Amino acid sequence: MKQIITPGEKIQGKVNNYVYRKGEEQYATIYGLLSEREGFNKIVPLKGKYTPVEGDIVIGIITEVKHNGYFVDINSPYSGFLMSQKEYNHGEVVLAKIIRVDEVKRVLLGEDRKLVGGNIIEILPVKIPRVIGKKNSMLNLIREKTGSEILVGRNGRVWIKGGDIAKAEEAIFRIEREAHTTGLTERITKMLEE
Amino acid sequence: MKKEGEKKMGMKSDVQLIKDGKRIDGRNFDELRPLKIEAGVLHRADGSCYLEWGGNKVIAAVYGPRECFPRHEQDPLKARLTYRYNMAPFSVEDRKRPGPDRRSIEISKVSRQALERVVFLEYFPRTSIDVFVEILQADAGTRIAGITAASVALADAGIPMRGLVAGCAAGKVDDTVVLDLGKEEDNYGQADMPVAMLAGTDEVVLMQMDGDFSKEEFDQAFELIRKGIKQVYEEQKRALKEKYEKGIEGDINDQ
Repeated sequence: MKQIITPGEKIQGKVNNYVYRKGEEQYATIYGLLSEREGFNKIVPLKGKYTPVEGDIVIGIITEVKHNGYFVDINSPYSGFLMSQKEYNHGEVVLAKIIRVDEVKRVLLGEDRKLVGGNIIEILPVKIPRVIGKKNSMLNLIREKTGSEILVGRNGRVWIKGGDIAKAEEAIFRIEREAHTTGLTERITKMLEE
Repeated sequence: MKKEGEKKMGMKSDVQLIKDGKRIDGRNFDELRPLKIEAGVLHRADGSCYLEWGGNKVIAAVYGPRECFPRHEQDPLKARLTYRYNMAPFSVEDRKRPGPDRRSIEISKVSRQALERVVFLEYFPRTSIDVFVEILQADAGTRIAGITAASVALADAGIPMRGLVAGCAAGKVDDTVVLDLGKEEDNYGQADMPVAMLAGTDEVVLMQMDGDFSKEEFDQAFELIRKGIKQVYEEQKRALKEKYEKGIEGDINDQ
């Protein structure tokens, strides 16, 4: 059973996140989708900005070059700082890992890799798990059917190079729009095979 | 006719506001004007809402959390919330001089403080959450319509909140306590009390009053408002749920 919840709705049973307690009861904090399974419920937000989390892989754009590193736009209210020996210019695209996030959300990036060429699209960060799928299933499906090289950042950016870029983009935007529905994999497979 | 910005309670007039147990627009004493809410109407905003409530037409847009400018207004512990209530020049009968005036600055302030109680600002340190409320057409009760729309827009932006804020007004016309004043009732009535609450609870986040109530009248008005807010809250929830239930091939309930 899945249902759409709004902030302030009472939630029964154990939940992963996105609730607050008041007295004996717990209430949702967010506009999202609640899926109920025996003993454990899960809330997935329907919208929202990306909040940096340690260990996430993100796709960033260099915004400022400093003497010991770079400021990077990571599609979030917070910009990242990349400490790297490599040379980048303003506007270049990097794939990087979030090494550390402190209590005022200053973000340190590392393990960077330059991305040359290709297209970048931005989707809602909360829909990224659906684009990846269980054990990369959805992502591998799109890669296979379009022959594109695709990299996904947890911050909502998707980098696509080679193959049928237009088709891959169409598929990803469709996943974003229909992320909350069931039977999505079948529909995307059908669409890609057309 | 005078502008909404210059209203004074208890204006003398020959208008009879209650006739045969019905109000001037045919409503019962405890009846709301027709309310329609739609979420997610603007594509450039992070969250948005369009609301029609009687003759009121309101559009609300939410941006953020985003980087906070000017820098010195950043708070390392929580987000900054801004709220702008603005009336369009064509929203009232005579042209309203554009730009903030004393009335809209006050409304922005009380509405902002109401929402600050409800949004989890501490989740987004150093950022800013900006709420813009545009009154396209005014017909009494615009501050309440604005805050009702703004809270739907905040939810639509995916911002964590303790709950939705719903509002409703009550007032006194021809010595009778009535719910949700219309334009004439507001202009020629004896009292007007807008209230906003954290919906689903009894927590008041905004309350103002113009004119006067006796203690009994106040209690009566407050009880009416509580019932009105329940209806407003249901419509808010409906608007948010409808957005993801319609227009998609797979039924979300068939797993």
